[in-house]
Amino acid sequence: MANAHPHAMAPAKPGKTRTAPPQRPPKFPTGGRYLAYTLFDWTGLIYLLLGFLVLKTIWTLGDGQAAWDAQIASFSHPAYIAFHILSFISVVFVGVRFFRLFPKAQPPRIGPAKPPPAPVILGMLYTVWIGATVLFGAILAGGIF
Amino acid sequence: MAEMLIKKFVVTRFDPDQDDVPRTETYEVPCHPDWKVLDGLNHIKDEIDPTLAHRWSCRMAVCGSCGMNVNGEPTLTCKKAVRDLPDTIEVTPLSNFPVVRDLVVELEGFMDKLKSVKPWIIRAKEKAVEEGPTRQSPEELEEFKQFSMCINCMLCYAACPVVANEPEFIGPAAIALGHRYSIDSRDEGAAERNEIFRGEGTVFSCSYANECSEVCPKNVDPAAAVNQAKFNAVIDWATGLVLPRGGKE
Amino acid sequence: MKHLLLKLEPFIWLMFGQGILLGTILLTGWLLVVNLGVPLGVVSDAGLEYERAHGLASTLIGKLVLAALCALPIWKGAHHMRHVFIDAGGGDRDAVIAPILYLIATVGTVLSILAVVRL
Repeated sequence: MANAHPHAMAPAKPGKTRTAPPQRPPKFPTGGRYLAYTLFDWTGLIYLLLGFLVLKTIWTLGDGQAAWDAQIASFSHPAYIAFHILSFISVVFVGVRFFRLFPKAQPPRIGPAKPPPAPVILGMLYTVWIGATVLFGAILAGGIF
Repeated sequence: MAEMLIKKFVVTRFDPDQDDVPRTETYEVPCHPDWKVLDGLNHIKDEIDPTLAHRWSCRMAVCGSCGMNVNGEPTLTCKKAVRDLPDTIEVTPLSNFPVVRDLVVELEGFMDKLKSVKPWIIRAKEKAVEEGPTRQSPEELEEFKQFSMCINCMLCYAACPVVANEPEFIGPAAIALGHRYSIDSRDEGAAERNEIFRGEGTVFSCSYANECSEVCPKNVDPAAAVNQAKFNAVIDWATGLVLPRGGKE
Repeated sequence: MKHLLLKLEPFIWLMFGQGILLGTILLTGWLLVVNLGVPLGVVSDAGLEYERAHGLASTLIGKLVLAALCALPIWKGAHHMRHVFIDAGGGDRDAVIAPILYLIATVGTVLSILAVVRL
């Protein structure tokens, strides 16, 4: 077991007896339910890299046709394919985990308005996710517009 | 007579006068099939080793004193049946807390955090007795009721990865109890608590691991409270940008 | 620095939350078509032809969507990496690590805006 921060849950005024240092939760960071949480945090690295990669892609669109064509062609490289498969898995994982936790984070009342019940919010999230993916995907693929 | 279950209890021991660091001790305990982990610990103390120190009181998951890690999971020991556990039962003090002795943890840090969120009804002006009670509809009660079921057992603190690494974080139960009052229709202290929630120990430290809610023995769902408190703090912050001083006089 | 971070936490959380919500929603379609469908030959590359892509991206809605597609995941990434450092025992170094990560996110946001403005 690893030590937690030495001041974790320490009182403002130290007690009279010597205490043993606080320990981190024994299953943290990869045991039991913590694994999903830790992986969820680590998707941050994927999103960070992916965000900058999309940025680079959009930037090349402003650099002219040759740069754009080269950028799109480069995505066929196995390293990019592997990274993007990992990215896709991460994005779906983030969506499923976050959307499951999202409804209960809504306060019971926002001003005078009450948010809809949790299952309705969840249904709306999935509808928007799938709908937006189909719409955005169709636009990008040349299906519409 | 029902057959006894022989369970091996591996228990953390720490005597501040003798031990530099905590150690473990193993006890073979003959358990009745309907025993809880707490019954096993009480058997050890009464029949095997009277020096064992552990907290307990009500034996019915109400007082919140007997929280410990059982096989790595923050658990009310009076609620967990030994028959549902493997032959070896490892009992350690709650994680993330300094250990006073054996299975007894230091509570004062939690008490400090709890007091900091002002878990009581705040009114700008107290109502005179002759004005009668402040009425509340069942719908208004329902909005905060689950958060008021907290028994301060601190299992949520033992499960929280943020508490382990950010000592200033107010933590799940205290935020849930503060939030419980902020959304109570009789309370007028939400703005005051939002300031606290956005100050040191901020609610934004929470990384939504949701472990607090997973281990809560009373289904309080502190993760919901913490994230609702974040949401309210953002609305409060945004309102403050548009209307300086939150639109207040 | 710690005080400034505390003041900015609601804004950071808002950007992080949108990074998960809108970022995830937008990235799914982008990944499926641009990064996987076309390179793997499952989707025709006609939709990504330069003239068409540039034309669509140059509209106001196109610019807004593309800027969000770049900037929001970067905020989500920066905030989650902050948690990764804290969870690894870096709570005491948060006042140094967090500003670096959010500076990266801010630079990413400025570049995202520039990237769509110059289209």
